Amino acid sequence: MDLSWTAEERAFREKVRAFANDRLPRDIREKVLKHQRLHREDYVRWHCILDDQGWGAPTWPEEFGGTGWNAIERLIFEVECFKAGAPRLLPFGLSMIGPVLMKYGSAELQQRFLPRIIRVEDWWCQGYSEPGSGSDLASLKTRAELDGDHYVVNGQKTWTTLAQYADWMFCLVRTNPEGKAQRGISMLLIDMRSPGVTVRPIRTLDGGHDVNEVWLEDVRVPVANRVGEEGQGWTYAKYLLGHERTGIAGLGHCHRELNILKEMAANTSRQGRPILEDSRMRDRISRIEVDIMALEMLLLRVAAARGDAPGPEASVLKIRGSEIQQDLAMLQMEIAGPDAWPYDPDWMEAEASFQGPGPDMAAAAGAGYADMRKTSIYGGTTEVQKGIIARMMLGL
Amino acid sequence: MDFAYTEEQRMLADSLRRLVQDEWGMAARRERAAAATLDDRAWRQLAELGVLGLTISADHGGFGEAPASLVPVHIELGRGLIAEPVIPSGVMSAALIAACGSAAMQQRWLPAIASGEAVMAVAYQEPGRRYETEPSLCKVQPVQDDVLHLSGVKHLVWHGAAAQTWIVSACDVDDEPVLLLVSADAPGVKVLDTPTLDRTRCARIEFDRTPVKADAVLAQGQAARDALATALDWGVAALCAHAAGAMERLLEITIDYLKTRKQFGQPLASFQVLQHRMADMLVAKEMALSMAYVAAAALSEPDEAQRRRMLASAKLEAARAGRFVAQNAVQLHGGMGMTDELEVGDYFKRLTVVDQLFGDTAEQLAVLQALA
Repeated sequence: MDLSWTAEERAFREKVRAFANDRLPRDIREKVLKHQRLHREDYVRWHCILDDQGWGAPTWPEEFGGTGWNAIERLIFEVECFKAGAPRLLPFGLSMIGPVLMKYGSAELQQRFLPRIIRVEDWWCQGYSEPGSGSDLASLKTRAELDGDHYVVNGQKTWTTLAQYADWMFCLVRTNPEGKAQRGISMLLIDMRSPGVTVRPIRTLDGGHDVNEVWLEDVRVPVANRVGEEGQGWTYAKYLLGHERTGIAGLGHCHRELNILKEMAANTSRQGRPILEDSRMRDRISRIEVDIMALEMLLLRVAAARGDAPGPEASVLKIRGSEIQQDLAMLQMEIAGPDAWPYDPDWMEAEASFQGPGPDMAAAAGAGYADMRKTSIYGGTTEVQKGIIARMMLGL
Repeated sequence: MDFAYTEEQRMLADSLRRLVQDEWGMAARRERAAAATLDDRAWRQLAELGVLGLTISADHGGFGEAPASLVPVHIELGRGLIAEPVIPSGVMSAALIAACGSAAMQQRWLPAIASGEAVMAVAYQEPGRRYETEPSLCKVQPVQDDVLHLSGVKHLVWHGAAAQTWIVSACDVDDEPVLLLVSADAPGVKVLDTPTLDRTRCARIEFDRTPVKADAVLAQGQAARDALATALDWGVAALCAHAAGAMERLLEITIDYLKTRKQFGQPLASFQVLQHRMADMLVAKEMALSMAYVAAAALSEPDEAQRRRMLASAKLEAARAGRFVAQNAVQLHGGMGMTDELEVGDYFKRLTVVDQLFGDTAEQLAVLQALA
């Protein structure tokens, strides 16, 4: 066992840091650090900048055009990019359908879709949840019936993140209504421009529009767009969710928000003194720093032990990561104090130069707090994760 | 002590519950909040039921109820997430004017507040100074015998744009606080109206040599400090009851959802872990409701230190319990709790901002520390 960072790892960190500080466009950085909303072009621009450097697919093996980095290098990369104020990497292609295609997709599907993920030539979205199937995903009802060399798909997906920008959706459908719920599920790749696909926005309680309903009415999907075998979709879906849950720990996000938090605390005063000097606040910041340190080491341990296919330990990461993200948002709101009360939704969407009603960092604090409630709900609620831990780690 | 509602209180609470159910449904409430102007009909209905003149003396056109009556009334208003300026006008401004206004001023303003004809707001916070109540950025100086000029900035004025008259704190040439009545249509006034996280409104108000008649001065020096403190005490008491009412209704909404929503082939309500969570939420609500009674009792507490302790404690508990109940209500609604389509988000946001009004947790802890 050697628990210190190697010289190579330290050098790698410096290299990523220098790159991110040098190449991340200032306007994007400013939006990210002020918690304003990003748009399609912001994400695409950053992905292309990364690809120009040869880092477009940091989580992929070299044979598919990835960097071939190990888990530790990926973690360093994520944290440094986040700290610099870079947008998160879009997970839908890189971390979700990409790994599934690499493991279960045909060579044809791999060649057709994987290269286009890297520069976001195809924007992917996730067709998993349905109005009646959230935590109980296996109960999904969207039907796909075979008609010659096509499936005809009917149903409704929900919570589809950024579907308003999507070109393609990987979608869980029921191809066999008989027998055990999990057995009748298949995974299809659906062109979002197909006739019968309708995307409707869902406004969230922070006033934002990140998630959507996707209606599928007699959508014809070529059988060739099925991933793997019919009826095996649940296996692929679980494989994908394992990937989602390690990313969902949000370590990079936590580091960035901690920095923002400290800056806010240093620049906001209460009765003539910076809040950062307040001992009650210092205690709480210290506790969060401890939490993040533990989360980071946990993530490294899980990644080193399980590599690409994390097991139920991912649930531990998901639970703690989401709680820490919520705590950070709450502390930021408390530091903003009375200035977190006014909330102008237009400011969130505006260009960074727009003057909000109060101090910049306070303007998004209330919305950020509201928005972060989603972290203990999406990707499997905390309650569901605890159920997984009880069954699979505790053997209960 | 007697916790039973009087006959009048029970009737008023019942009428309010009906009114709120009929007129403050989600759609109507949101529409009014988005309009950015006060809905005359809604405001009149509140006035007619006696909400605005609840504790104003009968001599001044009010009902002359004791401070404790804030509890039944504001619980109902909180259940309906009423966003009209009842607290800034009917509670805080009325208490402030009753505390320090001359007989003539009380005669002029209290009946108007009670009838809803006057809408008032208290402008006491200043940018960058969090919850400090001693004015510093707003200043008055005499320019003629009976005219003062007011200059400076106030912000986070709850319903500042809806009010026709503001009670403004400023410091005079001797750096002593002054409370003034300022008309919203006075010269040299600029108002920036902003929506708030919880779908009410607040305003930033800039004064540039705004002329104020000397007889619009409500109080000066210690009398001004005391009167502003009284207004905030009354605001805190009403807000604590409002928060308890919002928690009570949010629990009902969440119970309904758990009974209806099925996952894994059974209603969510059948899962013990969720039942226990609801039990925790109920416990928190009961604590907050109890502290709303403490806050109302504090308004009649003669001992200054004890009054401060009671109000700071009640405010802390309202914020803490409100946050806990709100967070868990969203969590128990799952993805649906994150949408703007259900009411749960509205309750979540109102209960979130309880901490931000009238001094947050850090302020209340500092009050308690100073008293210890």
